[in-house]
Amino acid sequence: MVHNNDEFHQQFKITGGDFINAGESSCEIRNILKELGVDADIIRRTAIATYEAEMNVVMYARDGTIDVYITPHEIKIIVADHGCGIPDIAQAMLPGFSTATKEMREMGFGAGMGLPNIKKNADSFAIESTIEMGTILTITFTLDHHNG
Amino acid sequence: MDRITEHHSIKINNEKCIGCTHCMRGCPTKAIRVRSNTAVINYDKCIDCGECLRVCPLYAVEPITTPPADLKRFAYRVALPSPVLYSQFGAPIAPTEILRVLQNLGYNRVYDEAIMCEMIAASIEEYLDEHTSPRPIISSTCPVVVRLIQRLFPSLCKLIIPIEPPREMAAKNLREEISQHHNIKPEEIGIIHITPCAAKMVSIAYPETMTRSYLNGAISIRDIFNPVMKQLKKAEHSVMLDSERPVSGIGIGWSIAGGEIRSLKYHRTISASGVLDTIRILEDVEQGRLKDIEYLELLICPDGCIGGPLTVENRFIAQSNISRLIRIYGSKKTIDTQTVRRLYKEHFFSFERNIEPKPFPGLDKDTAAAIRLLNLKEEYARQLPGKDCGACGAPDCITLAEDIARGEALLKDCIYCREEK
Repeated sequence: MVHNNDEFHQQFKITGGDFINAGESSCEIRNILKELGVDADIIRRTAIATYEAEMNVVMYARDGTIDVYITPHEIKIIVADHGCGIPDIAQAMLPGFSTATKEMREMGFGAGMGLPNIKKNADSFAIESTIEMGTILTITFTLDHHNG
Repeated sequence: MDRITEHHSIKINNEKCIGCTHCMRGCPTKAIRVRSNTAVINYDKCIDCGECLRVCPLYAVEPITTPPADLKRFAYRVALPSPVLYSQFGAPIAPTEILRVLQNLGYNRVYDEAIMCEMIAASIEEYLDEHTSPRPIISSTCPVVVRLIQRLFPSLCKLIIPIEPPREMAAKNLREEISQHHNIKPEEIGIIHITPCAAKMVSIAYPETMTRSYLNGAISIRDIFNPVMKQLKKAEHSVMLDSERPVSGIGIGWSIAGGEIRSLKYHRTISASGVLDTIRILEDVEQGRLKDIEYLELLICPDGCIGGPLTVENRFIAQSNISRLIRIYGSKKTIDTQTVRRLYKEHFFSFERNIEPKPFPGLDKDTAAAIRLLNLKEEYARQLPGKDCGACGAPDCITLAEDIARGEALLKDCIYCREEK
């Protein structure tokens, strides 16, 4: 395996419907960023965006992965899942729009702010989806080379 | 105090230390290593929680408290014991009896901190009513929790309630009162806290929220236990209830985890204690899980201050003693709410300055170097067995991997790696 020492990479696996472990990946990513001494505000935004993306996989997909790539210039988070996909992305990006079930709302989820929150906290954000296949989010945070 | 231990209150007695692994494993910030058969504390990472002191089987970890000789320079000496003291001598001993005996040990006056605990409880309520966000608000009582937040959870510093803990406010009040009443200069008054933990020594010598502590030093409960015990007689029932001032049941309750939130009846509150649970709850706060909680009481010692490392009595017996005292003295208000409100509005209880985040540094100041170090650390971690046995002198394999990546240890320090060769 080619290993570029100037880039850090770790992959996390998410299981759909697993509300017990939900949130653990974003917690670990937060700890990695603390260890790297990343600026506190960037950590806060990354943690929020990653958490929302992770919860979306748990709530709506069969399974997924989160790949974190960290270089001195940016943090890139790629969240890819296998699930039903998003038929209307523009609609999904509307604040308040949610396809959460009654049970999920009872647990406190489904306010419809997940994707808008990710976009708001990220420095750049891309989303692609294929019906019956799944969704891929690419979320990027810029790092100033001297650590903010 | 020598330069190295200056900002801390715990040291290893190298003559007693045999280089086992107990203190190293218990340390929540992985600050301890065992090198050349002796434990060494990295004071940059030490938060003075006292876990090492607690677990050392040979009492080789010692607290640093104010030497009694230091007190002689004060013309007027006051003892300000933590209410934990009332739980240490068995039931039923009246707090007033304990204070009376303590005074005989060479103090001009002793003061019951419990009353100020009750006043601070009332001012916490004022603060929560005045400031409806952010949430949760975190208690400022435990100096180790404050340090832990500054270092491991710096983004949460702004959640700590900007109100000084009872020991400081009692000392502030006393100094003014005694100075006026007895016509003594404030600096000639020595106010000494009798403490169940070593960490308070640090918050007194190096306060985070004011230029100078209102206290002049701290002596541990262990240090005064024997002399006090010798002079105590078991109280008769009349002594329990016969006192000039009312004894605050609410205030005495502050010595147990849950004491601070007992009087916050109309607010959603949580109390947590012990090192691991405190860290877990702070992780939850960081993730936004406790936004519905208004006040979070956090104490690093198990079951609160009665579980402090410098206490004598078993903390379960101590808890029973305190509960009994609360039953006897009741949970009704003994303070004047209007007075507290006035003092609160005058900012009598407020921090002089905010708590500053002081995060542990990352692997390196330069991100590129930090990334390289992290990759190197993971590389070494893959070569280690993951047994976390401690034989290498680091608390676990991941930490040894980091030490090796930093050039502070070698792969062959691991006994499993050596065997394979």
